[in-house]
Amino acid sequence: MTSAPSGTHNFKVVLLGEGCVGKTSLLLRYIEDKFNDKHLTTLQATFLNKKLNINGKRINLSIWDTAGQEKFHALGPIYYRNSNGAILVYDITDEDSFGKVKNWVKELKKMLGSDIVLIIAGNKIDLEHERTVPLEEAESYSTMVGAKHYYTSAKLNQGVEELFLDLTREMVERFEQNAQADVSRTSRVLVVDDESPVQTSCCSGTRST
Amino acid sequence: MAHSNFSAVDEYGFERHEDFDYESYEHFMSVYLKVLASRAQKWASLLGEGKSVKRTNTVKRYVRKGIPSEHRPSVWMAISEAEQMKEQCPDLYQKILDGPFEKELVDIVKTDLPRTFPDNIYFTKEANHQTHLFNVLIAYAHNNRVVGYCQGLNYIAGLLLLATKSEETSFWLLKALVEKILPDYYTKTMDGLIVDIEVLSELVKSKAPDVHQHVINLGLPWAVITTKWFVCLFAEVLPIETVLRIWDCLFYEGSKILFRVCITLIKTNRASIMACNDFTTLAECFKAIVKNASALHCHEFMQSIFKVPGTLSNSTIIKLRARFAKQRREQQQKEPPR
Repeated sequence: MTSAPSGTHNFKVVLLGEGCVGKTSLLLRYIEDKFNDKHLTTLQATFLNKKLNINGKRINLSIWDTAGQEKFHALGPIYYRNSNGAILVYDITDEDSFGKVKNWVKELKKMLGSDIVLIIAGNKIDLEHERTVPLEEAESYSTMVGAKHYYTSAKLNQGVEELFLDLTREMVERFEQNAQADVSRTSRVLVVDDESPVQTSCCSGTRST
Repeated sequence: MAHSNFSAVDEYGFERHEDFDYESYEHFMSVYLKVLASRAQKWASLLGEGKSVKRTNTVKRYVRKGIPSEHRPSVWMAISEAEQMKEQCPDLYQKILDGPFEKELVDIVKTDLPRTFPDNIYFTKEANHQTHLFNVLIAYAHNNRVVGYCQGLNYIAGLLLLATKSEETSFWLLKALVEKILPDYYTKTMDGLIVDIEVLSELVKSKAPDVHQHVINLGLPWAVITTKWFVCLFAEVLPIETVLRIWDCLFYEGSKILFRVCITLIKTNRASIMACNDFTTLAECFKAIVKNASALHCHEFMQSIFKVPGTLSNSTIIKLRARFAKQRREQQQKEPPR
């Protein structure tokens, strides 16, 4: 996360989940408001940017889409490194894909601790009649691990906008909390800095900082 | 190559998008058709003398200049180890297809069938290539349990089918690629892929140090840029004719060719890469350079891959692969796998 002097917040968000749960479709729906039945297997992380404005704050999201197959897991750390948020997607008609979400939660908690905002998304609710992942289980698991849970349908455009908006709000909140904590830490450092002796040298006049 | 360059579908069945640049394509074809005609004649006399294609310097030179599409299936089989492998077990493909299949493999392969070249008229639900693709992939998944199915193989097998029009030939060529030509790109932890990305990064560092430093500075990992290049062997990345020309050399000369292509892309587009000043534009730039005119002009492009990167010996690649594989093993010992 970086905060440019202009006050724009840049957040990195990563989409993770089993193959064919709809990661790319959620992203396309959010960014371009499109749904494409003709769709390619995603092989390498690509990302799309979205600019938004929350309470007068300018926010730039770069959202990373990844390959879903288990084998590509080895590349995971490259993609989720420095992420502020992760959307863990499963397909409500596919129990295995929910198991995969649990693995991601474990890994992200271990690698990134509480620095990352986690969201769990049960996608394809247009296929509600084929649901195999029990509602209560998904929700109680999410609560347990401190992740918000959303139901989405990229196809019908349900829950998508809301998910990204809430995620962004939470990332802003998390950022401001951290910034506050940082301020108290850095002000101490600054005091030390002020008291450090001023360095002088014959060419100090040309030194720039 | 058929003369369909003005239709909305190319000679391999790919739909041309609305933004297809007919003008540069026409310019390219006006030159390339002459090359093709001249190469076709040369190959006809080479093959016409009844000689079987052997791995000789003449053939290597011919291959670098492009194999005519009608000869690709047989020449690819002959110059790679695919032909030999097939001779050793001629019935293998049919036997595997007699089944039975494991449900887990069937499911995972089926997931990617509609997601392979949906813009190609032969891969629509109504056309039959999805069935052929299923057969090739499921047969290979059962034949090589260590690999099984890996995403990316769908594009490779798909393109093999388009180029050879034969399931069985595609199966053997796929087997030769995965088992003889490439390191462990498609195994469980994709170690060979991760190592090769490191090797490329190191090669760029020595051959174009400023570009390497610039890409590092902007914070875009090489893996993000090049995973698909390696996993798909440039299928679904570069223009199709360019990919097939690369594969001509890949089947003859091996995986070193992939590094030549990567380095050529990076060095040729040095100015545009250096002009990027943040990571979004850099990522966009890497998407653009595989689609630009120099990538489309496959004949010049293939000549350049043997010049632009400079010397690149097999022993260098072997050494670098060994070094990064060792580093990776040591790292894994420190932090046990998940």
